[in-house]
Amino acid sequence: MSIKEQVKSVLREAETYRTQGLFNEAMVKFKYASELIEKNVKPENSRLLIEGITKKIELLKKTISKYNDPEKPPEMPVEIQNLIKEKFSFSTDKESAALDGAIALTKFGQFDRAIKEFKELLKMESFRLVAAKNILRCYFASSSSSSSAKAAVSQYKEWLPPGLFTSGQLEKIKVFLENLLKEKGVEIKLPAVKEEVAAKNAPDKAMPATKPLIEMPESEEEEEEFLDISSVGIILETGGKKHPELIMDVSFQSGNMVSLIVPLREKLLIENLKAGLKLNHVQFYSPIAILNGSGVVSAFTRIGSGPKMGNYSLDLKMFTN
Amino acid sequence: MAVFNLKNREIECKIVYYGPGRSGKTTNLEYIFKTYKKQVADQMVTIDTEGDRTLFFDFLPMGLGKIKGCDVKVQLYTVPGQVQYSSTRKLVLKGADGIVFVADSFSIRREKNMLSLKDLDQNLKECGLSIFRVPLILQYNKRDVGGSIPIMSIEMMQNDLNKQLKVPYYPASALTGEGVGATLKECMKLTLVRLQKEFKWAQ
Ligand SMILES: Nc1nc2c(ncn2[C@@H]2O[C@H](COP(=O)(O)OP(=O)(O)O)[C@@H](O)[C@H]2O)c(=O)[nH]1
Ligand SMILES: [Mg+2]
Repeated sequence: MSIKEQVKSVLREAETYRTQGLFNEAMVKFKYASELIEKNVKPENSRLLIEGITKKIELLKKTISKYNDPEKPPEMPVEIQNLIKEKFSFSTDKESAALDGAIALTKFGQFDRAIKEFKELLKMESFRLVAAKNILRCYFASSSSSSSAKAAVSQYKEWLPPGLFTSGQLEKIKVFLENLLKEKGVEIKLPAVKEEVAAKNAPDKAMPATKPLIEMPESEEEEEEFLDISSVGIILETGGKKHPELIMDVSFQSGNMVSLIVPLREKLLIENLKAGLKLNHVQFYSPIAILNGSGVVSAFTRIGSGPKMGNYSLDLKMFTN
Repeated sequence: MAVFNLKNREIECKIVYYGPGRSGKTTNLEYIFKTYKKQVADQMVTIDTEGDRTLFFDFLPMGLGKIKGCDVKVQLYTVPGQVQYSSTRKLVLKGADGIVFVADSFSIRREKNMLSLKDLDQNLKECGLSIFRVPLILQYNKRDVGGSIPIMSIEMMQNDLNKQLKVPYYPASALTGEGVGATLKECMKLTLVRLQKEFKWAQ
Protein backbone atom coordinates (compact mmCIF):
# COMPACT_ATOMS: atom_id res chain seq x y z
CA MET A 1 0.00 0.00 0.00
CA SER A 2 1.32 3.43 -0.83
CA ILE A 3 1.50 5.96 1.99
CA LYS A 4 -1.38 7.85 0.45
CA GLU A 5 -3.57 4.77 0.43
CA GLN A 6 -2.51 3.85 3.92
CA VAL A 7 -3.43 7.28 5.27
CA LYS A 8 -6.72 7.17 3.45
CA SER A 9 -7.59 3.84 4.94
CA VAL A 10 -6.67 4.93 8.46
CA LEU A 11 -8.79 8.04 8.06
CA ARG A 12 -11.72 5.97 6.81
CA GLU A 13 -11.40 3.81 9.88
CA ALA A 14 -11.30 6.84 12.14
CA GLU A 15 -14.42 8.27 10.52
CA THR A 16 -16.31 5.01 10.95
CA TYR A 17 -15.47 4.84 14.63
CA ARG A 18 -16.48 8.45 15.06
CA THR A 19 -19.88 7.96 13.46
CA GLN A 20 -20.43 4.89 15.63
CA GLY A 21 -19.75 6.88 18.73
CA LEU A 22 -16.47 5.12 19.42
CA PHE A 23 -14.73 8.40 20.10
CA ASN A 24 -11.61 7.20 21.86
CA GLU A 25 -10.95 4.70 19.10
CA ALA A 26 -11.47 7.41 16.47
CA MET A 27 -9.01 9.64 18.30
CA VAL A 28 -6.30 7.00 18.25
CA LYS A 29 -6.71 6.55 14.51
CA PHE A 30 -6.75 10.26 13.68
CA LYS A 31 -3.55 10.70 15.64
CA TYR A 32 -1.99 7.76 13.90
CA ALA A 33 -2.94 9.22 10.53
CA SER A 34 -1.30 12.52 11.26
CA GLU A 35 1.81 10.74 12.52
CA LEU A 36 1.97 8.77 9.30
CA ILE A 37 1.73 11.94 7.26
CA GLU A 38 4.28 13.84 9.29
CA LYS A 39 6.79 11.03 8.98
CA ASN A 40 6.34 10.36 5.31
CA VAL A 41 5.08 13.42 3.46
CA LYS A 42 6.97 16.65 2.83
CA PRO A 43 5.60 19.41 5.03
CA GLU A 44 4.70 21.65 2.09
CA ASN A 45 2.50 18.93 0.69
CA SER A 46 0.79 17.94 3.89
CA ARG A 47 -0.09 21.21 5.58
CA LEU A 48 -3.74 21.27 4.58
CA LEU A 49 -4.32 17.66 5.39
CA ILE A 50 -2.70 17.95 8.80
CA GLU A 51 -4.79 21.03 9.53
CA GLY A 52 -7.96 19.18 8.64
CA ILE A 53 -7.08 16.28 10.90
CA THR A 54 -6.10 18.60 13.73
CA LYS A 55 -9.53 20.20 13.52
CA LYS A 56 -11.19 16.82 13.74
CA ILE A 57 -9.09 15.90 16.74
CA GLU A 58 -10.06 19.13 18.50
CA LEU A 59 -13.74 18.48 17.87
CA LEU A 60 -13.40 14.93 19.12
CA LYS A 61 -11.69 16.13 22.28
CA LYS A 62 -14.68 18.31 23.01
CA THR A 63 -17.09 15.47 22.39
CA ILE A 64 -15.11 13.14 24.61
CA SER A 65 -14.92 15.55 27.50
CA LYS A 66 -18.63 16.20 27.28
CA TYR A 67 -19.20 12.48 27.20
CA ASN A 68 -17.01 11.77 30.20
CA ASP A 69 -18.65 14.47 32.20
CA PRO A 70 -22.34 14.19 31.52
CA GLU A 71 -24.36 16.88 33.15
CA LYS A 72 -26.67 15.97 35.93
CA PRO A 73 -29.27 13.67 34.44
CA PRO A 74 -32.23 15.65 33.24
CA GLU A 75 -35.61 15.34 34.87
CA MET A 76 -37.49 12.81 32.75
CA PRO A 77 -41.16 12.95 31.80
CA VAL A 78 -43.53 11.70 34.49
CA GLU A 79 -44.55 8.62 32.46
CA ILE A 80 -40.96 7.50 32.32
CA GLN A 81 -40.45 8.13 36.00
CA ASN A 82 -43.55 6.04 36.63
CA LEU A 83 -42.12 3.31 34.47
CA ILE A 84 -38.86 3.33 36.42
CA LYS A 85 -40.74 3.26 39.69
CA GLU A 86 -42.87 0.37 38.55
CA LYS A 87 -40.27 -1.71 36.71
CA PHE A 88 -37.42 -1.47 39.15
CA SER A 89 -39.16 -2.28 42.38
CA PHE A 90 -38.73 -5.93 43.13
CA SER A 91 -40.15 -6.41 46.61
CA THR A 92 -43.42 -8.24 46.83
CA ASP A 93 -45.05 -6.29 49.61
CA LYS A 94 -46.45 -2.97 48.55
CA GLU A 95 -44.64 -0.78 51.03
CA SER A 96 -41.19 -2.19 50.39
CA ALA A 97 -41.89 -1.97 46.68
CA ALA A 98 -42.64 1.72 47.11
CA LEU A 99 -39.28 2.15 48.81
CA ASP A 100 -37.56 0.20 46.00
CA GLY A 101 -39.23 2.44 43.46
CA ALA A 102 -38.10 5.62 45.18
CA ILE A 103 -34.56 4.32 45.45
CA ALA A 104 -34.58 3.36 41.76
CA LEU A 105 -35.57 6.93 40.92
CA THR A 106 -32.51 8.22 42.75
CA LYS A 107 -30.30 5.81 40.87
CA PHE A 108 -31.58 7.24 37.64
CA GLY A 109 -30.91 10.72 38.94
CA GLN A 110 -34.56 11.68 39.27
CA PHE A 111 -34.06 13.39 42.59
CA ASP A 112 -37.00 15.79 42.67
CA ARG A 113 -39.45 13.03 41.94
CA ALA A 114 -37.68 10.74 44.40
CA ILE A 115 -38.05 13.31 47.16
CA LYS A 116 -41.78 13.33 46.49
CA GLU A 117 -41.92 9.56 46.77
CA PHE A 118 -39.84 9.48 49.95
CA LYS A 119 -42.10 12.11 51.47
CA GLU A 120 -45.02 9.77 50.90
CA LEU A 121 -43.06 7.05 52.65
CA LEU A 122 -42.59 9.30 55.70
CA LYS A 123 -46.21 8.52 56.46
CA MET A 124 -45.29 4.93 57.10
CA GLU A 125 -43.85 4.31 60.53
CA SER A 126 -41.55 1.53 59.44
CA PHE A 127 -39.89 3.50 56.63
CA ARG A 128 -39.87 6.90 58.24
CA LEU A 129 -36.23 7.10 59.20
CA VAL A 130 -34.90 5.55 56.04
CA ALA A 131 -37.07 7.86 53.95
CA ALA A 132 -35.89 10.90 55.88
CA LYS A 133 -32.25 10.03 55.34
CA ASN A 134 -32.84 9.48 51.65
CA ILE A 135 -34.60 12.81 51.34
CA LEU A 136 -31.56 14.54 52.78
CA ARG A 137 -29.25 12.68 50.41
CA CYS A 138 -31.40 13.63 47.46
CA TYR A 139 -31.07 17.29 48.33
CA PHE A 140 -27.33 16.93 48.26
CA ALA A 141 -27.29 14.99 45.03
CA SER A 142 -29.61 17.29 43.17
CA SER A 143 -27.79 20.59 43.29
CA SER A 144 -24.66 22.44 44.27
CA SER A 145 -23.49 21.92 47.82
CA SER A 146 -24.33 25.36 49.19
CA SER A 147 -27.94 25.42 48.03
CA SER A 148 -28.41 21.74 48.79
CA ALA A 149 -27.05 22.24 52.29
CA LYS A 150 -29.56 25.02 52.81
CA ALA A 151 -32.43 22.90 51.58
CA ALA A 152 -31.40 19.95 53.71
CA VAL A 153 -30.95 22.02 56.85
CA SER A 154 -34.29 23.73 56.47
CA GLN A 155 -35.87 20.32 55.94
CA TYR A 156 -34.28 19.14 59.17
CA LYS A 157 -35.59 22.17 61.02
CA GLU A 158 -39.04 21.46 59.69
CA TRP A 159 -38.84 17.96 61.16
CA LEU A 160 -37.66 19.13 64.59
CA PRO A 161 -40.97 19.92 66.30
CA PRO A 162 -42.30 16.84 68.09
CA GLY A 163 -44.80 14.83 66.18
CA LEU A 164 -43.49 13.00 63.17
CA PHE A 165 -40.23 11.63 64.57
CA THR A 166 -39.21 10.43 68.00
CA SER A 167 -36.28 12.27 69.53
CA GLY A 168 -34.18 9.14 69.08
CA GLN A 169 -34.89 9.22 65.37
CA LEU A 170 -34.19 12.92 65.19
CA GLU A 171 -30.82 12.37 66.83
CA LYS A 172 -29.99 9.86 64.14
CA ILE A 173 -31.12 12.20 61.40
CA LYS A 174 -29.01 14.95 62.93
CA VAL A 175 -25.87 12.81 62.97
CA PHE A 176 -26.59 11.69 59.42
CA LEU A 177 -26.99 15.25 58.20
CA GLU A 178 -23.89 16.40 60.06
CA ASN A 179 -21.90 13.75 58.25
CA LEU A 180 -23.31 14.77 54.90
CA LEU A 181 -22.42 18.39 55.60
CA LYS A 182 -18.92 17.42 56.67
CA GLU A 183 -18.46 15.36 53.52
CA LYS A 184 -19.36 18.39 51.46
CA GLY A 185 -17.19 20.68 53.52
CA VAL A 186 -20.09 22.83 54.65
CA GLU A 187 -19.94 24.23 58.17
CA ILE A 188 -23.36 24.75 59.67
CA LYS A 189 -24.25 24.11 63.26
CA LEU A 190 -27.53 22.26 63.49
CA PRO A 191 -30.06 23.09 66.19
CA ALA A 192 -30.16 20.40 68.86
CA VAL A 193 -32.94 17.89 69.26
CA LYS A 194 -35.22 18.55 72.25
CA GLU A 195 -35.34 15.69 74.73
CA GLU A 196 -38.73 14.13 74.79
CA VAL A 197 -39.26 12.20 77.97
CA ALA A 198 -41.78 9.69 76.80
CA ALA A 199 -40.07 8.73 73.62
CA LYS A 200 -36.56 8.92 74.94
CA ASN A 201 -36.23 5.28 75.67
CA ALA A 202 -38.40 4.06 72.88
CA PRO A 203 -36.47 1.57 70.83
CA ASP A 204 -35.82 2.67 67.34
CA LYS A 205 -37.25 0.20 64.92
CA ALA A 206 -37.51 2.48 61.98
CA MET A 207 -34.37 1.47 60.21
CA PRO A 208 -34.69 -1.91 58.55
CA ALA A 209 -31.26 -3.35 58.96
CA THR A 210 -31.15 -5.04 55.60
CA LYS A 211 -32.25 -2.10 53.50
CA PRO A 212 -29.28 -0.37 51.99
CA LEU A 213 -29.30 3.36 51.80
CA ILE A 214 -29.42 4.67 48.30
CA GLU A 215 -26.29 4.30 46.33
CA MET A 216 -25.29 7.50 44.73
CA PRO A 217 -24.44 7.28 41.05
CA GLU A 218 -20.91 6.09 40.72
CA SER A 219 -17.93 8.12 39.81
CA GLU A 220 -18.24 9.45 36.35
CA GLU A 221 -14.64 9.03 35.44
CA GLU A 222 -14.04 6.11 33.24
CA GLU A 223 -11.57 4.12 35.18
CA GLU A 224 -9.32 1.68 33.47
CA GLU A 225 -10.51 -1.83 34.02
CA PHE A 226 -8.51 -4.96 33.66
CA LEU A 227 -9.63 -8.52 33.56
CA ASP A 228 -8.60 -10.66 36.48
CA ILE A 229 -5.78 -12.74 35.16
CA SER A 230 -5.35 -16.11 36.78
CA SER A 231 -2.30 -17.30 34.89
CA VAL A 232 0.13 -16.10 32.30
CA GLY A 233 1.82 -17.99 29.51
CA ILE A 234 5.16 -16.73 28.27
CA ILE A 235 6.67 -17.76 24.97
CA LEU A 236 10.31 -16.82 25.15
CA GLU A 237 12.23 -15.94 22.02
CA THR A 238 16.00 -16.25 21.97
CA GLY A 239 18.14 -15.85 18.89
CA GLY A 240 15.07 -15.91 16.67
CA LYS A 241 13.91 -19.22 18.14
CA LYS A 242 10.58 -19.54 19.92
CA HIS A 243 10.56 -21.75 23.00
CA PRO A 244 7.53 -23.66 24.24
CA GLU A 245 5.00 -21.70 26.22
CA LEU A 246 5.55 -21.70 29.97
CA ILE A 247 2.45 -21.10 32.05
CA MET A 248 2.66 -19.66 35.55
CA ASP A 249 0.00 -18.73 38.07
CA VAL A 250 -0.55 -15.14 39.07
CA SER A 251 0.23 -14.57 42.71
CA PHE A 252 -0.88 -10.96 42.78
CA GLN A 253 -2.45 -8.48 40.39
CA SER A 254 -2.86 -4.77 40.56
CA GLY A 255 -4.33 -3.16 37.46
CA ASN A 256 -2.24 -4.19 34.51
CA MET A 257 0.65 -5.37 36.67
CA VAL A 258 0.85 -9.06 37.53
CA SER A 259 3.28 -10.87 39.79
CA LEU A 260 4.33 -14.42 39.01
CA ILE A 261 6.59 -16.91 40.68
CA VAL A 262 9.17 -18.39 38.30
CA PRO A 263 10.32 -21.77 39.60
CA LEU A 264 14.03 -22.28 39.97
CA ARG A 265 13.98 -25.10 37.40
CA GLU A 266 13.02 -22.72 34.58
CA LYS A 267 16.65 -22.02 33.80
CA LEU A 268 16.01 -20.55 30.38
CA LEU A 269 13.62 -17.91 31.66
CA ILE A 270 15.80 -17.09 34.62
CA GLU A 271 18.80 -16.59 32.40
CA ASN A 272 16.98 -14.33 30.00
CA LEU A 273 14.58 -12.23 32.04
CA LYS A 274 15.66 -8.84 33.20
CA ALA A 275 13.91 -5.61 34.07
CA GLY A 276 12.91 -3.66 31.00
CA LEU A 277 12.79 -6.69 28.71
CA LYS A 278 9.85 -6.75 26.36
CA LEU A 279 8.18 -10.10 25.83
CA ASN A 280 6.38 -10.17 22.53
CA HIS A 281 4.35 -13.31 22.98
CA VAL A 282 2.40 -13.50 26.19
CA GLN A 283 -0.99 -15.04 26.79
CA PHE A 284 -3.10 -13.85 29.68
CA TYR A 285 -5.59 -16.39 30.98
CA SER A 286 -8.65 -15.11 32.76
CA PRO A 287 -11.53 -17.25 33.95
CA ILE A 288 -13.58 -16.20 30.94
CA ALA A 289 -11.10 -15.52 28.20
CA ILE A 290 -7.60 -15.79 26.91
CA LEU A 291 -5.97 -12.58 25.79
CA ASN A 292 -3.00 -12.44 23.50
CA GLY A 293 -0.56 -9.70 24.18
CA SER A 294 2.84 -8.68 25.24
CA GLY A 295 4.51 -7.78 28.47
CA VAL A 296 7.32 -5.72 29.85
CA VAL A 297 9.35 -7.02 32.76
CA SER A 298 9.13 -4.45 35.47
CA ALA A 299 11.07 -6.36 38.11
CA PHE A 300 12.76 -9.73 38.26
CA THR A 301 14.29 -10.72 41.54
CA ARG A 302 15.31 -13.77 43.47
CA ILE A 303 13.10 -14.45 46.46
CA GLY A 304 15.29 -14.27 49.54
CA SER A 305 13.02 -15.57 52.26
CA GLY A 306 9.75 -17.37 52.97
CA PRO A 307 8.37 -20.60 51.57
CA LYS A 308 9.22 -19.66 47.97
CA MET A 309 12.81 -18.83 48.78
CA GLY A 310 15.24 -19.49 45.97
CA ASN A 311 12.63 -19.08 43.25
CA TYR A 312 12.21 -15.88 41.31
CA SER A 313 9.54 -13.25 41.44
CA LEU A 314 8.54 -11.65 38.17
CA ASP A 315 6.51 -8.45 37.94
CA LEU A 316 5.10 -8.09 34.48
CA LYS A 317 3.25 -5.17 32.98
CA MET A 318 0.68 -6.51 30.57
CA PHE A 319 -0.39 -5.18 27.25
CA THR A 320 -3.19 -6.87 25.41
CA ASN A 321 -3.70 -6.78 21.66
CA MET B 1 -38.26 -12.23 37.22
CA ALA B 2 -41.10 -13.79 35.30
CA VAL B 3 -44.58 -12.97 36.43
CA PHE B 4 -47.16 -15.75 36.16
CA ASN B 5 -50.82 -15.25 36.22
CA LEU B 6 -52.04 -18.80 36.31
CA LYS B 7 -55.70 -17.93 36.39
CA ASN B 8 -55.56 -16.00 33.13
CA ARG B 9 -52.73 -18.21 31.92
CA GLU B 10 -50.35 -15.37 31.31
CA ILE B 11 -46.59 -15.19 31.57
CA GLU B 12 -44.55 -12.07 31.46
CA CYS B 13 -40.80 -12.39 31.25
CA LYS B 14 -37.83 -10.09 31.03
CA ILE B 15 -34.99 -10.22 28.53
CA VAL B 16 -32.03 -7.93 28.90
CA TYR B 17 -29.67 -6.92 26.09
CA TYR B 18 -26.23 -6.57 27.62
CA GLY B 19 -22.88 -5.62 26.14
CA PRO B 20 -20.27 -2.91 25.85
CA GLY B 21 -21.27 0.62 24.92
CA ARG B 22 -22.00 1.09 21.22
CA SER B 23 -22.20 -2.56 20.37
CA GLY B 24 -25.70 -2.16 18.94
CA LYS B 25 -28.14 -3.01 21.74
CA THR B 26 -30.43 -0.08 21.09
CA THR B 27 -30.24 -0.77 17.36
CA ASN B 28 -31.43 -4.35 18.00
CA LEU B 29 -34.50 -3.09 19.82
CA GLU B 30 -35.14 -0.45 17.18
CA TYR B 31 -35.12 -3.10 14.49
CA ILE B 32 -37.47 -5.33 16.47
CA PHE B 33 -39.76 -2.39 17.05
CA LYS B 34 -39.88 -1.59 13.34
CA THR B 35 -40.21 -5.15 12.15
CA TYR B 36 -42.53 -6.89 14.57
CA LYS B 37 -45.20 -4.21 14.67
CA LYS B 38 -47.97 -6.68 15.38
CA GLN B 39 -46.29 -8.06 18.45
CA VAL B 40 -45.13 -4.78 19.87
CA ALA B 41 -47.58 -3.76 22.51
CA ASP B 42 -46.75 -0.12 23.05
CA GLN B 43 -44.26 2.46 22.10
CA MET B 44 -40.64 1.71 22.49
CA VAL B 45 -39.23 3.80 25.28
CA THR B 46 -35.75 5.05 24.65
CA ILE B 47 -34.50 6.93 27.59
CA ASP B 48 -31.67 8.89 26.17
CA THR B 49 -30.89 12.52 26.02
CA GLU B 50 -27.56 12.75 24.29
CA GLY B 51 -28.17 11.88 20.70
CA ASP B 52 -27.89 8.17 20.26
CA ARG B 53 -26.29 7.49 23.57
CA THR B 54 -28.26 5.33 25.96
CA LEU B 55 -27.94 7.03 29.31
CA PHE B 56 -30.30 4.77 31.14
CA PHE B 57 -32.07 1.98 29.35
CA ASP B 58 -34.42 1.15 26.51
CA PHE B 59 -37.67 -0.63 27.11
CA LEU B 60 -39.79 -2.52 24.62
CA PRO B 61 -42.79 -4.61 25.69
CA MET B 62 -44.02 -7.30 23.29
CA GLY B 63 -46.85 -9.79 23.16
CA LEU B 64 -45.92 -13.08 21.55
CA GLY B 65 -49.39 -14.56 21.55
CA LYS B 66 -50.34 -18.02 22.77
CA ILE B 67 -47.62 -20.56 23.39
CA LYS B 68 -48.74 -23.91 24.82
CA GLY B 69 -52.00 -22.39 25.93
CA CYS B 70 -50.36 -19.49 27.68
CA ASP B 71 -50.37 -15.87 26.73
CA VAL B 72 -46.70 -14.94 26.60
CA LYS B 73 -45.52 -11.40 27.07
CA VAL B 74 -41.93 -10.30 27.08
CA GLN B 75 -40.28 -7.08 28.05
CA LEU B 76 -37.01 -6.22 26.36
CA TYR B 77 -34.51 -3.96 28.06
CA THR B 78 -31.09 -2.65 27.14
CA VAL B 79 -28.51 -1.60 29.67
CA PRO B 80 -26.31 1.46 29.37
CA GLY B 81 -22.93 0.08 28.34
CA GLN B 82 -20.71 2.86 29.58
CA VAL B 83 -18.54 1.97 32.51
CA GLN B 84 -19.81 4.85 34.61
CA TYR B 85 -23.40 3.63 34.67
CA SER B 86 -22.64 0.50 36.58
CA SER B 87 -25.25 1.03 39.25
CA THR B 88 -28.12 1.54 36.82
CA ARG B 89 -26.85 -1.38 34.78
CA LYS B 90 -27.21 -3.63 37.79
CA LEU B 91 -30.72 -2.36 38.41
CA VAL B 92 -31.79 -3.08 34.84
CA LEU B 93 -30.26 -6.56 34.92
CA LYS B 94 -32.05 -7.51 38.09
CA GLY B 95 -34.77 -10.05 37.56
CA ALA B 96 -33.74 -10.93 33.99
CA ASP B 97 -35.10 -14.26 32.76
CA GLY B 98 -32.91 -14.30 29.68
CA ILE B 99 -29.95 -12.37 28.37
CA VAL B 100 -28.69 -11.43 24.93
CA PHE B 101 -25.06 -10.39 25.00
CA VAL B 102 -24.39 -8.11 22.04
CA ALA B 103 -20.69 -8.15 21.21
CA ASP B 104 -19.03 -5.72 18.83
CA SER B 105 -17.23 -7.36 15.90
CA PHE B 106 -14.80 -4.46 15.54
CA SER B 107 -11.31 -5.74 16.37
CA ILE B 108 -10.68 -2.54 18.22
CA ARG B 109 -13.45 -3.41 20.69
CA ARG B 110 -12.13 -6.85 21.49
CA GLU B 111 -11.09 -6.16 25.03
CA LYS B 112 -14.24 -4.14 25.75
CA ASN B 113 -16.34 -7.17 24.78
CA MET B 114 -14.46 -9.33 27.24
CA LEU B 115 -14.63 -6.78 30.02
CA SER B 116 -18.34 -6.40 29.52
CA LEU B 117 -18.88 -10.16 29.64
CA LYS B 118 -16.90 -10.24 32.82
CA ASP B 119 -19.00 -7.41 34.19
CA LEU B 120 -22.12 -9.41 33.33
CA ASP B 121 -20.73 -12.42 35.16
CA GLN B 122 -19.99 -10.29 38.20
CA ASN B 123 -23.37 -8.58 38.23
CA LEU B 124 -25.21 -11.87 37.79
CA LYS B 125 -23.34 -13.24 40.76
CA GLU B 126 -24.46 -10.29 42.79
CA CYS B 127 -28.04 -11.15 41.82
CA GLY B 128 -27.41 -14.72 42.96
CA LEU B 129 -27.31 -16.07 39.39
CA SER B 130 -24.67 -17.92 37.45
CA ILE B 131 -23.67 -16.96 33.93
CA PHE B 132 -23.47 -20.68 33.18
CA ARG B 133 -27.08 -21.28 34.15
CA VAL B 134 -28.96 -18.25 32.98
CA PRO B 135 -30.50 -18.47 29.48
CA LEU B 136 -27.89 -16.61 27.45
CA ILE B 137 -27.29 -15.96 23.75
CA LEU B 138 -24.27 -14.30 22.22
CA GLN B 139 -24.73 -12.03 19.25
CA TYR B 140 -21.72 -10.99 17.17
CA ASN B 141 -22.96 -7.74 15.75
CA LYS B 142 -21.93 -5.40 12.95
CA ARG B 143 -21.05 -8.24 10.57
CA ASP B 144 -22.10 -5.96 7.68
CA VAL B 145 -19.07 -3.78 8.21
CA GLY B 146 -16.16 -4.65 6.03
CA GLY B 147 -13.68 -3.04 3.73
CA SER B 148 -11.11 -1.05 5.57
CA ILE B 149 -12.43 -1.71 9.07
CA PRO B 150 -10.75 -4.63 10.80
CA ILE B 151 -13.33 -6.97 12.24
CA MET B 152 -12.81 -10.19 14.14
CA SER B 153 -13.57 -13.58 12.71
CA ILE B 154 -16.40 -15.55 14.26
CA GLU B 155 -13.83 -18.14 15.38
CA MET B 156 -11.89 -15.51 17.22
CA MET B 157 -14.99 -14.16 18.95
CA GLN B 158 -16.05 -17.66 19.86
CA ASN B 159 -12.63 -18.25 21.32
CA ASP B 160 -12.69 -15.01 23.28
CA LEU B 161 -16.20 -15.13 24.60
CA ASN B 162 -17.83 -18.49 24.20
CA LYS B 163 -15.10 -20.98 24.92
CA GLN B 164 -16.35 -21.82 28.37
CA LEU B 165 -19.95 -20.73 28.08
CA LYS B 166 -20.76 -22.74 24.95
CA VAL B 167 -24.08 -20.99 24.43
CA PRO B 168 -25.87 -20.42 21.12
CA TYR B 169 -24.43 -17.53 19.09
CA TYR B 170 -25.54 -15.54 16.09
CA PRO B 171 -23.59 -13.35 13.69
CA ALA B 172 -25.80 -10.34 13.11
CA SER B 173 -26.22 -6.88 11.77
CA ALA B 174 -28.63 -4.93 13.88
CA LEU B 175 -28.52 -2.21 11.26
CA THR B 176 -29.83 -4.40 8.45
CA GLY B 177 -31.72 -6.73 10.78
CA GLU B 178 -29.81 -9.83 9.86
CA GLY B 179 -29.74 -12.24 12.80
CA VAL B 180 -31.76 -9.95 15.03
CA GLY B 181 -34.96 -11.96 14.96
CA ALA B 182 -33.10 -15.25 15.23
CA THR B 183 -31.24 -14.03 18.30
CA LEU B 184 -34.41 -12.97 20.04
CA LYS B 185 -36.29 -16.14 19.11
CA GLU B 186 -33.54 -18.39 20.41
CA CYS B 187 -33.31 -16.41 23.61
CA MET B 188 -37.08 -16.62 24.07
CA LYS B 189 -36.94 -20.35 23.48
CA LEU B 190 -34.23 -20.94 26.05
CA THR B 191 -35.99 -18.68 28.51
CA LEU B 192 -39.35 -20.41 28.17
CA VAL B 193 -37.74 -23.83 28.46
CA ARG B 194 -36.00 -22.75 31.63
CA LEU B 195 -39.20 -21.28 33.05
CA GLN B 196 -41.01 -24.47 32.17
CA LYS B 197 -38.46 -26.51 34.09
CA GLU B 198 -38.79 -24.27 37.08
CA PHE B 199 -42.44 -23.42 37.10
CA LYS B 200 -44.17 -25.94 34.83
CA TRP B 201 -46.33 -23.27 33.28
CA ALA B 202 -47.21 -25.12 30.10
CA GLN B 203 -50.06 -27.58 30.04
N1 LIG C 1 -22.62 -0.95 10.57
C1 LIG C 1 -23.30 -1.26 11.65
N2 LIG C 1 -23.48 -0.34 12.60
C2 LIG C 1 -24.20 -0.67 13.69
C3 LIG C 1 -24.76 -1.97 13.87
N3 LIG C 1 -25.40 -2.00 15.05
C4 LIG C 1 -25.25 -0.77 15.59
N4 LIG C 1 -24.53 0.03 14.79
C5 LIG C 1 -24.14 1.44 15.01
O1 LIG C 1 -23.35 1.50 16.18
C6 LIG C 1 -23.65 2.65 16.94
C7 LIG C 1 -24.04 2.29 18.33
O2 LIG C 1 -25.24 1.53 18.32
P1 LIG C 1 -26.26 1.49 19.54
O3 LIG C 1 -27.38 0.59 19.17
O4 LIG C 1 -26.61 2.88 19.99
O5 LIG C 1 -25.34 0.82 20.63
P2 LIG C 1 -25.66 0.51 22.16
O6 LIG C 1 -24.78 1.46 22.93
O7 LIG C 1 -25.22 -0.90 22.35
O8 LIG C 1 -27.11 0.71 22.40
C8 LIG C 1 -24.72 3.39 16.17
O9 LIG C 1 -24.11 4.38 15.40
C9 LIG C 1 -25.34 2.32 15.29
O10 LIG C 1 -25.86 2.82 14.10
C10 LIG C 1 -24.55 -2.93 12.82
O11 LIG C 1 -24.99 -4.07 12.87
N5 LIG C 1 -23.82 -2.51 11.75
MG1 LIG D 1 -28.05 1.99 23.71
